[in-house]
Amino acid sequence: MEVSHSVKERTIAENSLVILLQGLRGHVATVDLRDESTATGRVTNVDAFMNMRLAEVTFTDRQGAVSRLDELFVTGRNVRYVHIPDEVDIRATIEQQLQAIHRVRYFGGRDKGRKEFPRAKPK
Amino acid sequence: GGAMSFLKRFLPPAEGVRHQQPDTEAVLAGRSLGAGTLYIAESRLSWLENSGVGFSLDYPTISLHAVSRDLNAYPWEHLYVMVNAKFEEETKEAPMTEGEEEEDSDDDVEPIAEFRFVPSDKSALEAMFTAMCECQALHPDPDDEDSDNDYEGEEYDVEAHELEQGDIPTFYTYEEGLSHLTAEGQATLERLEGMLAQSVSSQYNMAGVRTEDSIREFEDGMEVDIAPVVAGQFEDAEVDH
Repeated sequence: MEVSHSVKERTIAENSLVILLQGLRGHVATVDLRDESTATGRVTNVDAFMNMRLAEVTFTDRQGAVSRLDELFVTGRNVRYVHIPDEVDIRATIEQQLQAIHRVRYFGGRDKGRKEFPRAKPK
Repeated sequence: GGAMSFLKRFLPPAEGVRHQQPDTEAVLAGRSLGAGTLYIAESRLSWLENSGVGFSLDYPTISLHAVSRDLNAYPWEHLYVMVNAKFEEETKEAPMTEGEEEEDSDDDVEPIAEFRFVPSDKSALEAMFTAMCECQALHPDPDDEDSDNDYEGEEYDVEAHELEQGDIPTFYTYEEGLSHLTAEGQATLERLEGMLAQSVSSQYNMAGVRTEDSIREFEDGMEVDIAPVVAGQFEDAEVDH
């Protein structure tokens, strides 16, 4: 489960519903954009600012013309709605994302972000 | 031909150029602006025709960008960039579809300009797309009311609070951690932090990175115990927060 390397981004995600969108990685979702176009594709990344990256996209522009885009990046500001796919269990997704963040916080990310050294606890 | 008054003469960006693609045609609303070089720089997106005139786009005005290989939609593979701004070509010369004419009279509709950057080297599209994603991420929306930007201290506060409970993870102070490094390790650390400090925008304070500004904060000292440990000790710990 991928979690941002940035302390600030993890904190933002943890405190907002962006965390749900981040859990959509790998799923196909439809995003309604601010200009009334829509994009349906596989979510490959969502950052703390709700910038979304989708692959294999069917894009319908605001005039209704349909085209395919191999990859699409839409800025958070221009996302109006994200349709959560039916197969996604919203609560479980949020919990998994929170756990991933806590794992990084307490046991250290691989090489970036904060490194914490738990104190030895005599048992 | 045509009045393209938004084209200006300027020098290509010298710094922060994540990707540069020569021999790239720029197209605005279906009209070609010629062949030139696309500069995907951290500060802005610029395109300069071979004659030396061109234009720049600021990332906050870019709504989205995409790789298009759908030859039914447009006959050449390209990088599509949608911008939240008006460019003269849109209203004057460019052919208008019925939809556009209706929407122009609607005050609520935001201006949109569609650019296509068509590289002669199609295999570069991935790299161009990725470079744009990276640069776009450097310019988060300043108008975003929902996000509380004051997060620098928050994660520390949560954990400092938990430290008082005594049975949760603690960590080295910066000085203690340093003293465990060899001379070579310290040199490496300084070099890496220097690189990080340069690449991270001044808004952010990454945890553990000492920049000029953050040195003051660290010297206040966090109240922590100093005890090195083997990771994994805490597999079964319960952490409250």
